[in-house]
Formats: sequence, C-alpha cells, structure tokens
Amino acid sequence: MDLVGLNMLAGWTVSGDTIMIEQMPIFGGYTGGVEETAISDVATTLASFALFSGNFHLDGPIHIRWGVTTAKETFQIAAHACAAVDHNTDLLLANQYYPMAGPMTEMCLLETAAQAINDTVSGRELLSGSAAAKGVVLDKFTGMEARIMGEAARCAAGQRVSDMNETIQKLLDIYQPHYVDAPAGVTFQECYDVTTVRPKKEYLEIYDKAVQTIRDCGLDIKR
Amino acid sequence: MASRKYVDVFEAYDRFSEGDRIPEETWDYQIIPSNARLMRERYDINFSKTDIVPTDADLIDRLFLAGVDMLMTTGIYNTDFSRVLKLDEDEIYDGLKMAPKKLSIGSGKEKVKCKARRGNSMRKPIIEGGPTGAPVSEDVFEALIVSYAQEPSVDTIVSGVLNSVGRHPAVTNTPWEIKATMAEIRHVREATTLAGRPGMGI
Repeated sequence: MDLVGLNMLAGWTVSGDTIMIEQMPIFGGYTGGVEETAISDVATTLASFALFSGNFHLDGPIHIRWGVTTAKETFQIAAHACAAVDHNTDLLLANQYYPMAGPMTEMCLLETAAQAINDTVSGRELLSGSAAAKGVVLDKFTGMEARIMGEAARCAAGQRVSDMNETIQKLLDIYQPHYVDAPAGVTFQECYDVTTVRPKKEYLEIYDKAVQTIRDCGLDIKR
Repeated sequence: MASRKYVDVFEAYDRFSEGDRIPEETWDYQIIPSNARLMRERYDINFSKTDIVPTDADLIDRLFLAGVDMLMTTGIYNTDFSRVLKLDEDEIYDGLKMAPKKLSIGSGKEKVKCKARRGNSMRKPIIEGGPTGAPVSEDVFEALIVSYAQEPSVDTIVSGVLNSVGRHPAVTNTPWEIKATMAEIRHVREATTLAGRPGMGI
C-alpha cells in the first residue's frame, strides 16, 4: 500500500462510495509456490476488508511466467483462497480475467470458460472481464468473451465440485500446452461490425465450436 | 483483550506512520517468503494435484486460519513510509464484521444484487463485462463497451482504459490521465444507454 492508495480510499470512505479493492498475487514471485501464494492471497483479501473498508474484493492470481490468470496454478490459488474465505465469512469475492489468446480464437474462449467454471464453483460472487491477449494489446477484447464467461458461469452454478474439477482439467489439457504458440487473435474492429456492434459470422462459428468443446469436456453449456 | 475499535483507513495511516521501519528489499525477499513458508508448515497446507477447486473442508478452514495468522504476524507494508502496520486478531475479525454481506449495483431495471453465494450455490455470480483495465482506442471506445453491455448474460460493466483523449496520450500521473478518466466514465454511461440499459452499474 502507498499513500496514493490510502488517500483515494479516504475520499471514497468519506463519500460513502462502494469500494472495490483489487489485488493480484503473483504465482512464482516473492511468495513462492501455490500454497504460499494462496496463504498470502487469503491474508491480503482479509486486509482489504479489515483494514481498508473495502466492500468487495477483486482478486486475480497471475502466473509470473505467462502473465495470465488462466493457468492451472493460478486457478488452484484463486479457488483455494476463495473457498477458504467463503467457507468462513460472508465477504463478497470477485476475480478478473486475463487469458493468453486473443479474440476470435477458440483458445481464448476455452480459457475464459475454464476460469468462469473455476470461479463459480469455488464460490465467487462476481466475475470481471475478460481482457483477452493478457489485457496488454490495444483493442483486443470484445463482448463475445464476456458472453462465454457468463454462460459458463450460469451453467456451472450448482454443479458438483468433483465433476467440474474434471471439466476444468480437460479444458486445461486442451489449451495450456499452447501458451507457447497461442493465437494472437484480432482486434475488436476486425471481429465486429463497429457501426452495428454485431459480431462477424466467423466469430459466431468459432464461438459455436468452443461451446461444443466445452460440452465435450463435461459442462452442459448452451449456445 | 477486546479491540477498541475496528481499524479504518485513517487509523491505518496513523499506524503506518508509527510502524517499524523495514527496507523494502527485506520485506519482499525475506519477511514475506519466510512467513508464507512458516504458515504453510504451521497449518499443514498441501494442495491435492487433482483438486483444482478444493473438496477438503478441513484444508480450506486451515488455509483461512493460515491467512489470518499471516496477516497478524506479517502486517501490511507501506512503500512510501517503508514502515509496517500491525493489527491483532480481534481487530481483523471486527473489521470483517464491518464489511457488507450484500450490495446493490446499478439502478432501475438494471439494478442487480450481489450477495454471498456460500459455496457453489445454484445462483450464478454477477457478470461484470468489460476490458477490465486494458487499453482501448478513443475511436471505438463506446462501440466496444456496447459489445459488452448488449450481452444478456452481462449484469454490470468494468471499463477499459482510454488510450488517448482528444488524440493526446493519456499519460499516467499527468492531468491528461484525469481528463481521460472522466471521459471514460461519460463514454461508458453513453454506451450502456446505447445498449438500452442505462441503469447498468459501472
């Protein structure tokens, strides 16, 4: 925490604003492995409420090698930290999305859906995203990625955790080996008609293919 | 001993001002990793290779206690003061009691209620659609946000970052950043209106 952060919090607190506090633990950073990072994630999540008057907390465990939230290790950290806090409090918990692949690729949609399942099943209250292509490339994110996030979350809600663990692992097995050669995807301007704000046919076809792959992995997601 | 009062941001400032002085390198490279390892050993925290989402209720309870202990033992670091704030267990739990158990986000027909789901309940999470802080061109900002706001499964909007404002780069820590931030808010509100959902929370 620095003084800029404290001063912003002071302004919002005095104004009675709704305060979301964001913190992204880095797997492979100072804290070390998945267990140590999850312990630190729980500690900082609690600090957001206990010290800084947060109303909900936005997590985002990120992989130091890949810069994504969709790796197996970051899923495990996010799910365990969330489940630990959820099981012992009524705090409101959110997570954010930084897949490796860019828009209008099946890999991007599978990464986003896998994280939505992980977050939903572990008990999170709010999912925030998605910033495809790691959220660092100009205009490389669209509403279609939020569509798969929402649909995967809706279908995963209420499902058995053990079943969803199998689905998440199957999806990881498909996309995680491709972090090294992930498709860059295209910009919003290239996959939507910018005037009508309608996704192009090619993206709808890729979306349908991703939905079928997710169904094959065990989640009864609708088109 | 019972705590005197929960710790708010103002009390946090005072405690940072008077906390122990520690070099940032010591905090990053020694205190954080050694305390995290200590808590892992103390609470026997070992994740299963197959459980991406945990199924062991005892493990997640021990993880919660390890997190409370980590916060209590380690404290929070202030990079401007190079000092550490400490708080005790009662203060942590008192602070948690102050947190809301539910929130209303948005207004009118688009208002959604965010409340504790308690495990994987049948009730889906709130979907906050948007580029979540990623850079967006000025020319397509509103259309890009419309692409999220028009999705039926999206409940609220998280904004992206305007790459420029009036063609001027929105450089961090300059007046242009403030101008761009205010423009972002106006553009997002216009986008939700264009999508027919003017009350969406942003």
